[in-house]
Amino acid sequence: MATAQGVTIADSRAIAKKKEDVGQISQWTLMRRRFMENKLSVTGGVILIAMYLMAAIAPFMSPYPYDALDSNNQFATPTSIHWVGLQPTVCGVTQTLNKDTFTWIYTTDCTKTSPIKFFTHGYSYTLLGVIPSDVHLFGVDPPAKFYLFGADGQGRDMLARVLEGSRISLSVGLIGVALAIILGSLLGTASGYLGGAADNLIQRFIELIMSMPTIPLWAAFAAALPQDMSVVKRYFFITLILSLVQWTGLARQVRGKVMAYRALDYTLAARLAGASDMRIILTHMLPNAVSHIIVVAALAVPATILGETALSFLGLGMLPPAVSWGVLLRDAQQVQVMEQHTWLLIPALAVIIAVTCYQFLGDGLRDAADPYS
Amino acid sequence: MVNYIIRRLLYMVVTMFFISIIGFGLIQLPPGSALSVKIQQLRAQGGDMSQDQVNALEARYGLNDPLQVQYFHWVTGAIHGDFGQSFVFDVPVNQLIWGRLGFSLLLSSCAIIFAWLISIPAGVYSATHRYNAPDYFITILQFVGVAIPDFLLALLLLVFASQVLHSDVGGLFSTQYQNAPFSEAKFLDLLSHLWIPVVVIAAGSTAWLTRVMRANLLDVLNQQYVQTARSKGLGEGLVIWKHAVRNALHPLIMALGTTLPALISGEVIVSIVLNLPTTGPLYFSALIDKDMYLAITFLMFLSLMLIIGNLLADLLLAWVDPRVRLE
Amino acid sequence: MANVVTTSAGSASRASDTDCVLQVEDLQVEFHTQIGVVRALNGVSFSIPRGKVLGVVGESGCGKSITGLSIMQLVPHPGRVLNGRVLFREKSSDAPVDLLTYGRNSPEMHHIRGKNISMIFQEPMTSLNPCYTIGNQVSEAILLHQTPHREEAKAHAIDILRRVGMPNPERIYGNFPHQLSGGMRQRAMIAMALSCTPVLLMADEPTTALDVTTEAQILDLMRELQQEIGMSIMFVTHNLGVVAQMCDEVAVMYLGKVVESASVDEIFYDPKHPYTKSLLRSIPRLGTGRKERLEVIQGTIPDPYSTVPGCPFHPRCPSVIPGTCDRIAPSETFVPGAPSHSVRCHLYTSAAGA
Repeated sequence: MATAQGVTIADSRAIAKKKEDVGQISQWTLMRRRFMENKLSVTGGVILIAMYLMAAIAPFMSPYPYDALDSNNQFATPTSIHWVGLQPTVCGVTQTLNKDTFTWIYTTDCTKTSPIKFFTHGYSYTLLGVIPSDVHLFGVDPPAKFYLFGADGQGRDMLARVLEGSRISLSVGLIGVALAIILGSLLGTASGYLGGAADNLIQRFIELIMSMPTIPLWAAFAAALPQDMSVVKRYFFITLILSLVQWTGLARQVRGKVMAYRALDYTLAARLAGASDMRIILTHMLPNAVSHIIVVAALAVPATILGETALSFLGLGMLPPAVSWGVLLRDAQQVQVMEQHTWLLIPALAVIIAVTCYQFLGDGLRDAADPYS
Repeated sequence: MVNYIIRRLLYMVVTMFFISIIGFGLIQLPPGSALSVKIQQLRAQGGDMSQDQVNALEARYGLNDPLQVQYFHWVTGAIHGDFGQSFVFDVPVNQLIWGRLGFSLLLSSCAIIFAWLISIPAGVYSATHRYNAPDYFITILQFVGVAIPDFLLALLLLVFASQVLHSDVGGLFSTQYQNAPFSEAKFLDLLSHLWIPVVVIAAGSTAWLTRVMRANLLDVLNQQYVQTARSKGLGEGLVIWKHAVRNALHPLIMALGTTLPALISGEVIVSIVLNLPTTGPLYFSALIDKDMYLAITFLMFLSLMLIIGNLLADLLLAWVDPRVRLE
Repeated sequence: MANVVTTSAGSASRASDTDCVLQVEDLQVEFHTQIGVVRALNGVSFSIPRGKVLGVVGESGCGKSITGLSIMQLVPHPGRVLNGRVLFREKSSDAPVDLLTYGRNSPEMHHIRGKNISMIFQEPMTSLNPCYTIGNQVSEAILLHQTPHREEAKAHAIDILRRVGMPNPERIYGNFPHQLSGGMRQRAMIAMALSCTPVLLMADEPTTALDVTTEAQILDLMRELQQEIGMSIMFVTHNLGVVAQMCDEVAVMYLGKVVESASVDEIFYDPKHPYTKSLLRSIPRLGTGRKERLEVIQGTIPDPYSTVPGCPFHPRCPSVIPGTCDRIAPSETFVPGAPSHSVRCHLYTSAAGA
């Protein structure tokens, strides 16, 4: 049906330029475009990337090591920044014991100020585990101390601890979900594609796991871990446990998608053309399901982070001396502690921010993942 | 319909059977047993047990039997209502669980009702009054509600209640009513303590359900039959509440099924934090002390609550939506 | 080829001599979206004589559905009515009332919808609420407009269901929409729309989603009921065959404007506007040679976010007059000798020249 491209006016195209190529660009570009239009998701994504970067270079970001005890600064309040002209400084702080309540009182003496220097030298560490360095983003010369987020009951710098904790908390989310994706995709695809007895078996198994409430199940698993496991081993097992429940939801989603695609005409066409099952799955079905999997994963990560936080808070997840946000919150359990040393709740803020950003990100990905709707 | 229910119940029995196996295996995973924990505790206090005593206890509790035998003994007992013996408290498990399970059920049910009562109007309002200040506020609340860990919310509310409201908020009853017989005053006291755990447990679910309701209603409002209803001359209120909301309920009930695990889990963890006399704290300590029969029984009953909840949700779905055919 | 005719003077309100139940004057509706402004209706004018069927024809995107929705003030957000009058006369003896002066949710509009003007939509599958029975939905309008007594409304509903040709209307009363076929659902829709004996029925492509046999039945039904009750119908469609079968008058729309308006005979046998002519030519005919190409209208409908200066059809018009058609929008001209036949085309205005 040949249509002569009519005599259309040049300037009528002006407004339409943006939408011109909708039929010609790839699915991924379309997705990216739609995602970028959602300012909230992009913000969430940017904040998350920033958090992960900060976690990666955690020792650089804080002046003190996360495990450095300091009995002279127990429960130190966050140091306030005193501006001398344009130079931020900290005031000197002296610790005295209130003999009536037996609590430490910190008095600030702003006649003795110490400037906050940037890119100073401090304790040495290895950046990303490879590059030795002793440069820190900011710091003050001793004997002044700069606790941006205050200190905990043993004088440890909360900023350093929150950053160190972010390494475990944030990575557990990603790795746990990655494991869940692998397991879920494999079993979900098998279930959806093969159908019949295999499908039935896998589905019953999934239902079985989903019939048990999550936290009690996790708790039962976690309680089985011996107390004296090494940090690395424990981290590995906790991640494994968390993903053991998440994969079920993912498997169901993948199965649904695979079953829907299996019924579509292009699968039939591929099979008639002689394509093997493996090829059909890999080249036709999975790429279509990938966008869907990404969305589900983005929403499963915050659940995993919350799960690890909850388990560690209960004392069943990561244990000291390992640091995660849940472990840090365990120190803040008592009501009196929370009332008097509110800065100990900053890890909670970190959790909330991370989870909320993931929610925004997930929402945006979900809206963008249907470019042809 | 009756066939369906019977079939689901049978199914439930089978599922519970498998859960019992999994649970039993899980609880047995940690090395040692309640007995070894007890011995450790005894030793820590300076006492000790002779080997004969140890052997006698082991024989009495059947701790040396192979796993299958222990399981078999327990299951046969369980069918008759005997769930074994608690090592830590040295009483039959039966005596310990019922009161606590009852409270757990109470809390979870109240949380569900609360979540529904709030999320439906909030979701409807949010969907019909878009782009104005209250809508943004509700949206922010939703995001925060889902993001905040429930144990943290529990702690924050505790602080808030004690500092701002000056009320004695631990536990489910004030000290004077703790062991008093049931009366109207005790009931009111219960209510005044109940709101914190219920709000905390329901917070995440309420936030999520509101979002689901809002999204569903927006979808439904675009449907043709809403336009048809308007074209008949119905007032906007009737259009929304009679025609639109009824259709948006279907996915919401499905969502209810999804929030049940979170509610039950949440109830467990919040009750640990707030130290309420429900399942949570006892289950937790049973796990740590390897009080195995107590732990497995709790796990089974929690799962049972979840399964029954799902069944009720499915039945509710069939009742609300005439298109659902129960096979 | 151009028939130069002079415009007949004083032909502005030709409709004032016929009794019209509805008269639309210069209706303009636009949609403000994030990407731009869409002019859905660009000054639509037509009238529906009492007791007659007006067919509104055009391609997708010409604005025919929005016209119906605007009359009922059901234009979805972000649409807005900018301008225009919609004059409605319930009875011949009434003075015309401008519906657009009523608020969208005013009690007057609620009274008019369903009672005086009702609407049936294109998709019977989705036009009925799946959660309520047919009876409930049909009775709803009756309870609202006619009687508050349930039993009476139920009897009335069953009666109207019978009149639209439902077998066993008592059983249908208690059925849910998903238990009915497409044709039966559309009958239920018609029953719902006619339950309060409206003066005007707006039918927005009611048979487009149905198969041909059902379509024929529904059209027969509508004709029958129309003559029985004596109501007017505004029948929106893109199917010229249906127009020929059902309609007394026809309005041809393109890009939000009525480009030609006449009685059905005149449209088919003496079309004036090049668009109308192209539409009629593009209908495949029996007896055409096998190797002959189908006639198409060259070009495509322009982007809805753009505005076309001058005559909206000129980029695709086979009889375009450069210099005139792309600059000046043609005004409505009446064909001499046929007082109800009007056309918007420079071929017929005095500006066309010799």
